Amino acid sequence: MTVLEVSGIRKQFGGVVALAGIDVTIKSDEILGVIGPNGSGKTTLFNTVCGIYRPDAGRVRWNGEDITAKAAFQIGRLGIGRTFQQAMSFPALSVRENVQIAMEHGSRRGEGAIRPWSSPEELLAFVGLEGFADESANAMPFGNLRRLGIAVALGGRPSQLLLDEPAAGLNEAESAELVQLFRRVHQLGVGVCLIDHHVGMMAELCGNLIVLNFGNKIADGPTDTILRDAKVIEVYLGAQS
Amino acid sequence: MEAQWGQPLNKDSHSAVAVALDAAERHGADGESTRGFKPSWELAAVAALIVIGVLALPWLKPGYRTLSFALTTGVTAIVLYGMAIPFGQAGIMSLGYAGLMGFGAYTAAILSRDFGMNMWQAMPFSAIVAAVFAGLFGLPSLRISGHHFAITTYVMCELLRIVLTNGGKFTGAATGLDLPPIGTVLGINMDKLANAYLLVAVFMLASILVAYLIGRSSYGRTLRSIRENEQLARSVGINTNLHKVVAFMVSGLFAGVGGNLQAYNYRHISPDLYGGSISLNFALMVMLGGARTIFGPLTGAVIVTFLPEVMRIDPVDSRIAYGLALIAVIMLLPGGVIAVTERVYRRLTETVIATRRVGPSHAGSSSARGD
Repeated sequence: MTVLEVSGIRKQFGGVVALAGIDVTIKSDEILGVIGPNGSGKTTLFNTVCGIYRPDAGRVRWNGEDITAKAAFQIGRLGIGRTFQQAMSFPALSVRENVQIAMEHGSRRGEGAIRPWSSPEELLAFVGLEGFADESANAMPFGNLRRLGIAVALGGRPSQLLLDEPAAGLNEAESAELVQLFRRVHQLGVGVCLIDHHVGMMAELCGNLIVLNFGNKIADGPTDTILRDAKVIEVYLGAQS
Repeated sequence: MEAQWGQPLNKDSHSAVAVALDAAERHGADGESTRGFKPSWELAAVAALIVIGVLALPWLKPGYRTLSFALTTGVTAIVLYGMAIPFGQAGIMSLGYAGLMGFGAYTAAILSRDFGMNMWQAMPFSAIVAAVFAGLFGLPSLRISGHHFAITTYVMCELLRIVLTNGGKFTGAATGLDLPPIGTVLGINMDKLANAYLLVAVFMLASILVAYLIGRSSYGRTLRSIRENEQLARSVGINTNLHKVVAFMVSGLFAGVGGNLQAYNYRHISPDLYGGSISLNFALMVMLGGARTIFGPLTGAVIVTFLPEVMRIDPVDSRIAYGLALIAVIMLLPGGVIAVTERVYRRLTETVIATRRVGPSHAGSSSARGD
């Protein structure tokens, strides 16, 4: 099991405090959800962990090792895979090349949590993209692009996935399929931590939830407890209905 | 001593920079070849024709002038295949290649003068010096991109020209340096133009092969991932900064070898061969042919070198023609001549296949079936 430990992380953009010094622990044996209103710091949390932003204060530790100062590509090699809010791919390349690139890099030290994928096709079949290998990534429908993003993240054999709104822009049926996919990913032994606004989906999928608001962590615990928490209902769930 | 600034910068070359940058931005926006070089029997056939054509040229009695143009084209194409690695694969346009070629050429000339080295002895030094400076020219690409980066490389190229012009005896100042003849290679006398041409042709074919192998390799794929989405590339563990600099250094090897061959074939080099406007010409050639296609750089070099000659355009008019050609490429062929040819060919063959499948009697309605 791997542990990603964020302690006292603070990040400010000009006068805006995106993260006001929060502590989060992400373990690979759970499916963890991060929820909160827009602008509460969810994506900033991921970007800080992944080395895209340098935090103003605080530490990020991966299995005890301090990785706060590491570059994004180094963190990618450690076994922390991620997807992006804006369904990212290598647009003009084929779907096969998209995953090949990830498979040829990622966890190089052979410490990947999962056994190596035997072929790009095996990985594509795992995420439900069989038959698309020769298409251009930018020619695929949006739902498939979301899946491709997950396949690219899995290609590097991560032990922890950070998924930033993986179901944004998808319909109910597509979201339900993603829930199944995340369960299968978790069964491989990969930690799944996701940000999303579909509370129904998060309730069904996540064992634990973290709630952010204005850069502060206002709640953290088992999903059922969190969803009944008065403060959470006030700042987030209330606003949803 | 008063500094010599060489020829004043041409005003029109400044506007040419702007046009070239716009072209670079749109270059390769379409076309299948964007995914790297796929082997096919068509590709093999075209490659075989090119090899035979290039090597058979001296036996077609082309005349001295045509053959020396062909030699220049070959030298240029070597540099262009290097340029196509960072530009075509990694998507980073540099306007420094004439300068890098200059490092190769001046290294050869200086090593010959001061250490008595011949072409072969100097060639590794030419390649390495150009590669090191290619890496240095490429460093700003870690901070800036697109137009901004291309302009810094253009400026470095111009700076080199000024340094060479003011280098006193060491660089021969504005007059430049002379080199000895190549001599004999494998017992073949290189004083004969046809033989010198064949030597350059072999180097050029080798550089096409190397460029092809890079495009097919996982290294080429890594470079394309940087072109397509740098942030995603980093997230999967690719050290994008390192790869960019290395890609420039690899392209510098090509430029250094090209510069060495140029110096030994011209036997006289001067700063004006390596200024920014020459780099712009290189950019035009690569984009006209198609940086992401395997035969694009060669095609671009042939068109730009020979067209003014064939059409008998004088040098001033040909500059105007270059400008118009570049604008035409931006508007009509963003992927270059070869990318468009490929697409037209594919469409034609697909039509033929579809027609055959339906049967000749239903040929007219084949498209309606959609298949």
